Amino acid sequence: MTVAGSRGTLPEPATYSGRFRIPQSVLGYALILLPLIVMGTLILYPAFLSITDTLTERSPGGSLQVSLADYVEFFNTPLAVRNLAFSLRITAVTVAVLFLAGFPISLYLRFTHGRLGNLIQMLALFPLFVPGIIAAYALIRFIGDNGWLERFLHLLFGYEGFTSPYLRPAGIVVGLAWEGISITVLILTAGLSQIPDSLLETATDVGANRWQAFWRITMPLMKRSVLIVLTLNFLTVFGSFTIPYLLGPASPEMMGPYMRRTFYDANLPSRAQVQAVITFLISAVISLLYVRSVVSQKVEEES
Amino acid sequence: MVRHGVVGRSLRLIAGWPWLGICLFLLLALVVMGPMLNVFLWAFTRNWAYPSLLPTVWSIEFWDDTFARADILEGFIASVWISLIVTGLSAVICLPAAYAFARMQFPGRTFLLLSFLATNAFPRFGLYITIAVIFFRLRLIGTVPGVVLIQLVNTLLFMIWIPTAAFQGVDRALEEAALDVGASPMRVFVQVTLPLVAPALAAALLLTFVGTFYETQGALLVGVPEVRTLPVVMIRLINNQVVVQYGAILSVALWVPSLLLLIFAQRVLRGNTIASGFGV
Repeated sequence: MTVAGSRGTLPEPATYSGRFRIPQSVLGYALILLPLIVMGTLILYPAFLSITDTLTERSPGGSLQVSLADYVEFFNTPLAVRNLAFSLRITAVTVAVLFLAGFPISLYLRFTHGRLGNLIQMLALFPLFVPGIIAAYALIRFIGDNGWLERFLHLLFGYEGFTSPYLRPAGIVVGLAWEGISITVLILTAGLSQIPDSLLETATDVGANRWQAFWRITMPLMKRSVLIVLTLNFLTVFGSFTIPYLLGPASPEMMGPYMRRTFYDANLPSRAQVQAVITFLISAVISLLYVRSVVSQKVEEES
Repeated sequence: MVRHGVVGRSLRLIAGWPWLGICLFLLLALVVMGPMLNVFLWAFTRNWAYPSLLPTVWSIEFWDDTFARADILEGFIASVWISLIVTGLSAVICLPAAYAFARMQFPGRTFLLLSFLATNAFPRFGLYITIAVIFFRLRLIGTVPGVVLIQLVNTLLFMIWIPTAAFQGVDRALEEAALDVGASPMRVFVQVTLPLVAPALAAALLLTFVGTFYETQGALLVGVPEVRTLPVVMIRLINNQVVVQYGAILSVALWVPSLLLLIFAQRVLRGNTIASGFGV
């Protein structure tokens, strides 16, 4: 059996001749217990608690009963619905932008070798090495009013009609796309590198042209990587906070900043909980697709 | 290697249009490096009038001011301490588990290892809100333990997956040879296994430390107002728009060392290790 990044198969466990012999499975479970507890208490329990909290209500008699009142209230609040729709729109646009920018770069990197390719790869992976908060700060200076971008456009093309995307919806898309491009390219190039040259060559040998080879071989084999990229980007963008908070408009705002404002500024934790669960429910299908494609990939690697 | 067929033709196509690669390179260089270069210049600027492409008056006078600011100094100290605690805690929790995942056979091993992907499968900030609600009830908001715990969530995946891959990469023949000549299992672990996995473990620790140092949203949600890490201080500098240079100098001074650390970590790890954390 192997896991991500391992090579070959794992040999049978060595038989150490210790004085005490604890069954290996017991020892194994004991060693992995701690991180499982941490994950249970810090991820699964809070999520579960929020779901049950928001779905139940204490009746005047004191007993708990299932109630959708919190959710009805959410969807009857125009501001909340507007922010949710805004978040979904920004997410859809950003995921599309990332894919449309990342896929050609990955294709280029897959089919080219040499110094230019290496340089392009380095540039594409560079944002991975820039912490989010520093990237946000740099982007504000770059795309903001009188920023470098505006100066470039002015001096090179004499363009004067620049409106800065900073503090506008487009600012969020720019920031999240800047941050997400590395992972997108990384996942897509990893997927493309699994398609052997020989397979594409065989296709042309039997008379397929370049487009046919691309659509009939490359694309079907890329289905899983593409699915992973789209779902992971959706979850990352939909669940983001720092970029929309710093680069986006004050209203409408994405769910991240909205939830924080509800929790902290308005001091309404239970209402923030409802908003959080709604983000869970909306991305549940996407999460499922993401987990399923990752797990199927890993299981395939194992066998 | 002789290339022919589709790949060869694709190569020729790209080679035949060198401007395609050059355009891609220039575009990426502008979009990716532009913002960072811009901040770099701001750190050495006194005056930068529109529409000049370069600062109109250069100066390093803001560097002293920046590091004399009490909030920046306190934020830096808080960030270093909290990141050290989170990294240490994460190592203690995860490294033995990574060893078990790599070396031991038990039912459900693969499933349990994959279950750590759960952190990726939630919209992150929604998850943080549900954690913060519990911390609110436990009075952990605005405390160091609260910040440490919420930042721990981020570290589990890499702190388990990278060391697991490292332990699996060790050639068992070396260990068995040492056992055969009479070394105790403990001695084999310390003198054979550990040195072989040390670079990958160091990389995992570095990635965790740097990642935690710059973790922003959890620290802002749970730490404020009492605990302010450096990224939280930076958010305030951005929102208040005081002096552009403070944020720029902070970015340059902090980002360069972290970049070197991350490049080292990347060198040590095999190419796909980071991608594998996202399920590739």
